[in-house]
Amino acid sequence: MPLQQGSARTRQRTVLLVGIVVLLVALVVAVVLASLLTHGRHEVSPKMLKWKDRGTTKNLQEVVLGRCYNYITAQYPELGDKDCLKIWESLKDAFIYKNPCNITAEDYQPLMELASHPIPCNKSLFWSKTNDLVHRYTKSNQNFLTLEDTLLGYMADRVSWCGDPSAPGINYESCPKRSECESNPGSVFWKMASKMFAEAACGVVQVMLNGSIEAGAFRSSSIFGSIEVFNLNPDKVSEVHIWLMQDIGGPQSESCSGHSIQRLISILEERNFKIVCEDNYRPVQLLQCVQNPDHTDCRLCTNST
Amino acid sequence: KWKGEGTTQNLENIVIGRCYDYIRIVNPAVGEKNCSQIWEAFKNAFINKDPCSILPKDYELFINLSLHTIPPNKSLFWENNQLLVNSFADRGRRYMSLGDTLFGFVGDFLNWCGQADSPGLDYESCPTTMECENNAVESFWRMASITYAQHSSGVIHVLLNGSADGGAYPQPGFFADYEIPNLEKGKISQIVIWVVDDIEGPDIDSCGVHSVKTLQTRLKTLGYDVTCSDNNK
Repeated sequence: MPLQQGSARTRQRTVLLVGIVVLLVALVVAVVLASLLTHGRHEVSPKMLKWKDRGTTKNLQEVVLGRCYNYITAQYPELGDKDCLKIWESLKDAFIYKNPCNITAEDYQPLMELASHPIPCNKSLFWSKTNDLVHRYTKSNQNFLTLEDTLLGYMADRVSWCGDPSAPGINYESCPKRSECESNPGSVFWKMASKMFAEAACGVVQVMLNGSIEAGAFRSSSIFGSIEVFNLNPDKVSEVHIWLMQDIGGPQSESCSGHSIQRLISILEERNFKIVCEDNYRPVQLLQCVQNPDHTDCRLCTNST
Repeated sequence: KWKGEGTTQNLENIVIGRCYDYIRIVNPAVGEKNCSQIWEAFKNAFINKDPCSILPKDYELFINLSLHTIPPNKSLFWENNQLLVNSFADRGRRYMSLGDTLFGFVGDFLNWCGQADSPGLDYESCPTTMECENNAVESFWRMASITYAQHSSGVIHVLLNGSADGGAYPQPGFFADYEIPNLEKGKISQIVIWVVDDIEGPDIDSCGVHSVKTLQTRLKTLGYDVTCSDNNK
């Protein structure tokens, strides 16, 4: 009978259609599951916090470990007893799986202890707003050490890191800026390392400041002004030499007689340090002159021969 | 056994770490490189071989994996003034010396050698170049220098030490034997020589005299446009 035949065919067609739909759904589910399971480790889990600054440096472990070994092996073999693997682990433990706005000094204590080393007297070189110049100087004159020339600073320079409570515990996408929260892994690290670097200084210490910035060469809000100055030990440090460097051909916003320098001098004198300030300390200026050989300030000494 | 220092401790960690340091931080413009593969290629150039039988071409794979362009006008060749070159080159931003390329960066200031019939590195001692020329480190720098010269273009700079014993332009020397012969004349517009004396050092050599004159003559004969200045400020 035609009706019965018709409904049988409809049923067959329905079964076929349902079958196809089920297959399609299964396929889609399989693809979605596969992509979720095999996605690269840098995929941000939807639960990871999002911040405004760049994320953890890729291959952080290899970089930090390599730098540690490089430092103790190729540069300062006197530090041969340092355990680089332990040092890396203590750095990782300081921030992994933690909320990056809740980092404390205690988190970094093990790392600080493992990686710190004594600094020879008269060699500490502090700096503020002279990053490029001061490191070019220490690269060519190994008589001075900035924080970035110590093991801790050397490992961490130009590298960034932060964790997150959700797996894998390290956030490679973004990390908090200081303006988002102060107790972030980078800021806390550098504050602690700077404090220890100042505490370890002895003899005559040097500081390279920038006499070409409008806001003033010495700022109380800088790490130098807020942490290092106050952690120099008057029982160990006898003198502070200030090198006030101006950009060649740049604005001469401040010199040794300037306001902010006078403020710095009074703060230091109150703590019983002897101060010497020099405008455009010549050996460093020669380095600046490499990029401006024709400037009048860069002519070779005309009065000494 | 040999007269030279042994392999630097933790060589593998240092080389791999430097490789990542370079591609992630120092010069990310070179793009993605496989640092583990680079280490393997580096190591395979000299392990399991007589440490006096290593040739520059043994490092060919290493060089192929770590090669990247050297921007025109940024090449800086030098002799006897490594510290000055480092600050002059400003970490590759002003100039890119061999030590600022990936292949030079990973090997700088390190020492290494292997031994025949053993996959291990020799940490006790390594042959000096006096004992045998074809040693792992010498051949590495020969290969690196050749490569660096081949890939240099535009205006190239040479920084020489006017206070050096024996002259500012050493012969034999890397610049003389491996770099000059491998410069690609068609790619080079000018060669600028700077002779710099050590501060308060003796003025042994200058433009137009002694070894520097030899260098200038050689380069001019090869057809290059050459200039020379003394005590570059």
